[in-house]
Amino acid sequence: MKLPDTGGTEGSPPGPSTDETAEELRRSVARQFGRSLHIRTLDTGSCAACEQEIRLLAAPHYDLHRLGFFFTPAPRHADLLMVTGPMIRAFDIAARKTYEAMPGPKLVVATGACALGGVYQPDAFTHGTVGETLPGDVLIPGCPPSPLALLQGLLVAVDRLAAKVQDLSFIQNGGAR
Amino acid sequence: MPLWFVRGLRRGVVTTRYPGRPDSSAADLPTPPVFRPEALTRDLADRLCMTCPSWALIRTGDVLIFDAGACTACGRCREVAPEAVTASGEFELATTDPAHLVKRIPLLGEGAS
Repeated sequence: MKLPDTGGTEGSPPGPSTDETAEELRRSVARQFGRSLHIRTLDTGSCAACEQEIRLLAAPHYDLHRLGFFFTPAPRHADLLMVTGPMIRAFDIAARKTYEAMPGPKLVVATGACALGGVYQPDAFTHGTVGETLPGDVLIPGCPPSPLALLQGLLVAVDRLAAKVQDLSFIQNGGAR
Repeated sequence: MPLWFVRGLRRGVVTTRYPGRPDSSAADLPTPPVFRPEALTRDLADRLCMTCPSWALIRTGDVLIFDAGACTACGRCREVAPEAVTASGEFELATTDPAHLVKRIPLLGEGAS
């Protein structure tokens, strides 16, 4: 069976590999970190709608891997912690341990309205916002944020991480600690 | 056989070009509201604050404070006051500064103050 031509639609250049912006971003991530960027997701009491949208990022339509981002189950391999939910108090220790297990430079991306102080007010069971327990470096609004919004948030996070990498002394000293 | 599978095979590429190019599905996304200060009064602002299920709206004096981070884009405020509230169409709202998400909208409607 002859497979169809993989040319793009409506006169667009053929093949996803020719998307120059994505390629440039992937190179930028690789240049900053010497590798791709790995994401660990952390559910702190969300309704799982955010997780569903995050999962869609790996689907063929959004194809997060083309940008050099990957999901990892281990915080020790992660550069970026994507936190969803209103941060229930029962999760405080686990959230802190996860954050501390990540190597630096690291970022926390507060994802969704729950994580940003909407939906749940602070009470005996929940903080109502991620910022109470972890530093919210990048904020992605939405309920749930669409995969496109998540992609934009990750691009914002990459810029922020790039700044953190520049602040590290061993980078400034050409790799010498 | 699902239609999307056949369409994907026929068109070849199914992956979005975002962020290099805009994605056509972005037009259908629920987005936070924008407010027309000229149409907002104190009474209307109070009704909007009571309607909001996620505490994204607070009125302080003659200013309506809208927290786009807390907004769930449910559209209830648009139903209450379609003349004063419309969908922004903005979904690229991620930021590093929480202050960027908070909008202060003056109440300039007739009899607002």
